Amino acid sequence: MKARLKTRSLVAAVSAVSVALIGFVAVPAHADTRSTVVAIESNTFTSINNITPDTNIVINGDVEYLTGQNFFYYDDKLNIVPNPKLATYKITKNTSTDFEVTYTVAPGRVWSDGVPITAADLLLWHVITSSDYSKAAGLGDPAGSTGAAFNSVNFGGVYDSHIAGIPTVSADQMSITFKYDSKIPDYLLNGPSFAQPVHALEELAAGKTSLGSVADGVAADAKFIADVKSKNTASLKAMGAIFSTGYNTTTVDSSTNPLLLVNNGAYRIKSVDSSQITMVASPNYNDGPPLSGITTMVIKQGIADGSPSAQALANGDADVYQGQPTADAVAQLKAIKTATVVTTASLAFEHIELRVASSGSDTYSGPFAMAGGAKAADLRKAFLLAYPRADIVDKLLKPINPNAVVLGSVINLPGNPQYAHTASLNGMGVYNKGTQASRTAAALALVKKWYPTAGKGNTPIAINLLWGSPGNTRRTSEAALIIAAEAAVGFKVTAPATAGWGGKLGATQYDAHFFIFDQTANPQDAQACGIFQSNGGSNYTGISDPAIDKACVALQAGTLPASTVTRLRIQIEQAAAKDAFFLGIFQNPNVTAYNSQLANVIPAPLSPSLFWNFQSWHF
Amino acid sequence: MLAYIGRRIAVMLVILFGSSFLIYNAAAYSGDPLEGLRTSTDPKVHAKVLDLIRTLHLNVPPPARYFIWLKGIGRVFTGHLDFGRARDGTLVSTHISAAIPVTIRLILLSFILAVLFGIGFGIVSALRQYSRFDYALTFLAFLMYSLPIFWVAVLLKEYLAISFNNFLLNGTIAPIWILSASAVSGFFWAAVISGTRKKVVSIFAIAAGATAFVLVLLSVTKWFTHPGLGPIMMLVLGLGFAVGVTYLSTGIGNKAALRASITVVVIGFVLYFPVEYFLKKYASLSTVFVMLLLTLAIAIGTGYFFAKVDRRPIIRTSVITSIFVGLLFIIDKLMKTWVPYINTDAIHQRPIPTISESNNLLPSGNFWFSSLDTILHLVLPTLALILITMAAYIRYSRGTMLEVLNQDYIRTARAKGLSERTVIMRHAFRNTLIPITTILVVDFAGIMSGAIITEQIFGWRGMGSQFNQAIHTQDLNLLMGFILVTSTLVILANLVADLLYSALDPRIRVVGKK
Repeated sequence: MKARLKTRSLVAAVSAVSVALIGFVAVPAHADTRSTVVAIESNTFTSINNITPDTNIVINGDVEYLTGQNFFYYDDKLNIVPNPKLATYKITKNTSTDFEVTYTVAPGRVWSDGVPITAADLLLWHVITSSDYSKAAGLGDPAGSTGAAFNSVNFGGVYDSHIAGIPTVSADQMSITFKYDSKIPDYLLNGPSFAQPVHALEELAAGKTSLGSVADGVAADAKFIADVKSKNTASLKAMGAIFSTGYNTTTVDSSTNPLLLVNNGAYRIKSVDSSQITMVASPNYNDGPPLSGITTMVIKQGIADGSPSAQALANGDADVYQGQPTADAVAQLKAIKTATVVTTASLAFEHIELRVASSGSDTYSGPFAMAGGAKAADLRKAFLLAYPRADIVDKLLKPINPNAVVLGSVINLPGNPQYAHTASLNGMGVYNKGTQASRTAAALALVKKWYPTAGKGNTPIAINLLWGSPGNTRRTSEAALIIAAEAAVGFKVTAPATAGWGGKLGATQYDAHFFIFDQTANPQDAQACGIFQSNGGSNYTGISDPAIDKACVALQAGTLPASTVTRLRIQIEQAAAKDAFFLGIFQNPNVTAYNSQLANVIPAPLSPSLFWNFQSWHF
Repeated sequence: MLAYIGRRIAVMLVILFGSSFLIYNAAAYSGDPLEGLRTSTDPKVHAKVLDLIRTLHLNVPPPARYFIWLKGIGRVFTGHLDFGRARDGTLVSTHISAAIPVTIRLILLSFILAVLFGIGFGIVSALRQYSRFDYALTFLAFLMYSLPIFWVAVLLKEYLAISFNNFLLNGTIAPIWILSASAVSGFFWAAVISGTRKKVVSIFAIAAGATAFVLVLLSVTKWFTHPGLGPIMMLVLGLGFAVGVTYLSTGIGNKAALRASITVVVIGFVLYFPVEYFLKKYASLSTVFVMLLLTLAIAIGTGYFFAKVDRRPIIRTSVITSIFVGLLFIIDKLMKTWVPYINTDAIHQRPIPTISESNNLLPSGNFWFSSLDTILHLVLPTLALILITMAAYIRYSRGTMLEVLNQDYIRTARAKGLSERTVIMRHAFRNTLIPITTILVVDFAGIMSGAIITEQIFGWRGMGSQFNQAIHTQDLNLLMGFILVTSTLVILANLVADLLYSALDPRIRVVGKK
C-alpha cells in the first residue's frame, strides 16, 4: 500500500508539473542579431519557373524575385527602378514604322554556376513570347488546341502582336536588338526579361544531371543562338519540354538536378519541403544591389491568414507577414509588442459596374441599357448616387485600414502621385459631393422623373446584382448595405450570394456587379482599357464608348510623355463618369506585420510587394 | 467468407462510383475555376485561361468531364492509376503521396495517445461509477467534446508556445502557479483514489505537497532552462514504473515478476554511462533500434531467469518495464540536447513552435537535434488533437466497461474468488476492447482524411489542408483525388472492422450468402 501511494504521488508530481506549465508571466524578448528572415505566405510553391500559365502565381514569383535579377523593379511609389548593374537598354530607332530597342548586358555578369550572362539569355524571350516564331519554328500554335512547346504565359500580349522578325544578337553576344512594327507602349514592361538560363535549359534538354563547365555553357549559348536562327525544331522542342514542366517541383533537396537551380539572383534555393522554402546567399551574385546582412531567407508556406500568422509572429516563428486579414486579426497583430504593423492600400480595388449592353451575342434590355436613352441614363446615375460607398468604407474597411478612402479614381488609385489631380478632373467627383443624404435625395429626384411615386416602400425598378460566393463575409455585408440604400430611392435589388459567380459575369440576367479588379502592373493604360474599351478582356458591362476607345488607342501607341498619359487617363474616366456605369469603391487593404528589429521593410503596392527591396533588409 | 468479401468489395465499387459522380458534379457546379483570373486586369490572364481550359477540359460539361476523369482512375486495373493533373500542372498523385506521410506523422501519435488515455480514463471512471471522479471526468469529457479545435489551438499556442518560450528565458516559476498546480494535483489524485474522508484528505496533502516540493525544486534549480534526469532520477522513476507495471500486469503479489522488473531497472541504472556514451557517439535511428533490441533481450533474459513456473506473465512484465526504462534513456538524452538546441541560431531561444512540421535551418546531420525538433513541432497539434478526440473514447470505454461488468461471466469470475485485479484486467478489460477495436479501425481511416482545421492552423501540409486548398481554388482533380483515396480507406476500414469483429467475438459470423 505504501509503495502504491509513493508511486502515485510521484506520478502525481510529474503530471502536476505538466499542468503547471500552462502559462507564465511574460518576460521581455531577448535581443540578438540574426542573419535569417522567415516570411509567411498562404499559398504554396509549385515551380522554379513562374512563366508558364500553371505556375504564374504569387509565391513562385516571390521566389523568382529573390533568386533572380532583372532589368528593373517597381518601388513602393510605383516608379520603375532600373538595374544597370545587370544590363542597360536604349531606343536605337524610333520612327512610326520602325521601333528598335537594344539591350546590352553589363560585362562580367554571371549565372550562379559561373557561366556568363549573355544576349542569348534574352533571345529566349522571343521563343517564349512570339506566337509567329512558335508557329514558324514548328513549336506549335499557342492559341491552338495543343498549345506551344514552350507553354509560356507571355503569348498574346503587346510584344507578340508587334515584334518584327527574330531579334538580332551582336557579334560579341552581349547586345540584342528587338525590332517592333510600330511604337509600342511601355516598351520596358512589354519587352524582354531574363527568364531561365539558356545554357542550363540546353544541358537539361540534353539529359545532363550535373553542372557543366563554363566553356560548356558558352558553347550552349552559341548553339541556342544558331538554333533559334535556323529554327531547329527538334532541339527547341526538347528545351520547351523542360521549360514547360521540367521546373515544376514541390521539393528541392540534395538530389535535385543542380541545373534546375542555376540563377542570377541574390539567393539560391537550398531546399524546399512541404512546409518551407529555404534560400541562402548566392556566392556568385554580382548583378544587383548587395545584401545588407540577411544571408538566409525562409518562406514558410501554406500558413493561413489571421490568427496562425499573428501567433507565429508573436512567437518568433516568423519575422514578416503580409496578407488581407480580418479586423480581429489586425487587432491581434497590433497587440504584439515585438512587431510593427503597417496597413497599406493595394492595387486591387472593389467597384460597382452597371450593365449597359450585352457583352456577348445576346441582347440586354434591362433598366440600365444604353438603348434605354435618357431614362436609363438617369436610373444609372441615381443608382450610383445612392450607392452607399461611404458607409461601406466606414463600416467594413476602416476597422482594418483606418486610412481607407472612398475612391475618387480607379485609373490613378490613391498612392499614385497623380491621384488628387485625376480625382478633381475626372468627373467622378459628383458621386462624392455633399453627404450621402444629399446624394440620395438627388438620386430620388432623378428616379421620380420617371417613377413619380418611387421611394421608400415603393421600389418599382428591379435590379439583379451579382457579387460573389456565400463564403465572402465582407461582400455579404456590402450587399446588405446596398439593398437597404438603393431601396430608399426606388430600386428593388436582388443580390443573393452565387456560387460560381465569376462565370456569370457575362450573363445579361444581371444588371449590375460589384467585385474586385486586381491590377498587376502599371502600364500607360493602367490596365484600365481592358475594362473600359469595347470588347476589352475585362469588359463585363458591354460598354462601347468612342471617346474611351480613342483614348485607349492613343495610350497603346508608343511610349508617351507622362503628362500625356495622365491627360488620356483622365479622358477615359471622364467618359466613364458621363456614361455613369462604373464607380470605384475602395482599395483592398494589405496588412504587413514584421519583427520590429528588422529594418527597411517597406510594403509596395505591386508584386513583389513585400520583397521589392529585400537586399536592404537587416536586423 | 471469400464470397462475403467479394460481395462487399463489389458493393464498395458501386458506392464509390455513385458518390464520386455526385461529388464531382456538385463540386464542379459549385464554383468557377477561372474566378481569380476573371477579376485580374493583367493581359497575361488570357494565356492562363486558355491553358486551364485546355488542360482541365473546362469546355466539357461536368457530367461528361467526370468520365474523362474516371478513365484515368479506371486505369487502376491496368496498373497505371491516373488521378490527372492539379491546376498548378503537377500530378495529383504527387500531392497525395506527399500529403499521406505528413498526415500520418501528425495523426498517429495523437491517435495512439488519445486511445490509450481515453480508454484508461474511461475504465477508471467506470470502476468508480458515480464517484466524484466519475462525475468530474464526465463533465470534462463533455467539455472537451464540445471544444472547437481552432479555439483550443489558439489557447495552446498562446500559453504553451508564446508564454512558455518567454518563461524559458528566465526559468523561474511564479508562486501563484506553484500553489494552483499543487491544488489541482491534490484534487485530481484525491478524486481518483477516493475513499474515506481521512484518506482523501491525506492523499490531497501528499499529492499537493509533493507537487509543490517538486515545482519549487525545479524553479530554484532553474531546471527548465537546463533540463535533465541523471542516473539517480532515472533510477527512482524506473523503480516507480517497475512497481506500477507489475501491479497492473501480474499483481504485486507475484514476487518473481516484481524482482524481474526491478532487476531490469537496476541493470539500466548500472549501464547508464555506457548507454549514454553510445547514444552520443553513434547517434542515429539504427543505434536506437539496436539499443531497443538489446533492451528487449535483457528484459526477456531477466524475466526468464526469475521465473520458475508460468513464465509468460513475468517476461511480459519485465519487457513492459524495460520499454519504459528505454524511453527514460531517450528522454534523458533529448533533455541533454536541449541546451545546445535552443542556443542554435535557428531556434534563438524559442523552442516551442506554433507552425510548420520542422525547422530546416538547424545544423544538418545531428540526429538528436532533428529528433527533438520533430517532437517539439508535434507538441501543440498533438495536444490539441488529443484533447478533442479523447473525450469520445472516454465515454465509449466507460459505457462498454460498465456493460461488461454487469455480465454473468464477471459475476462468475468474482464468485470463483478471483482477485479484483484479475477480474478487471483479464475478464472485463479484454472484452471491453472488442467493440472499441472495431471503432478504432473506422476512426483511424476517417482521421486519414486529415484534420482539416488542425493542419490549417498549425501549417501542416497534410491531407486535410490540401483538401481545403483544393476546395478553395476549385481544383477539381485534386479534390477528387483526395476524396477517392479517403473514401476508399473508410469503406475498406468498415469491411476490416466487420471482419475483425467476427474474428474477435466468436458469437458473430460473417456469411457469404443467406
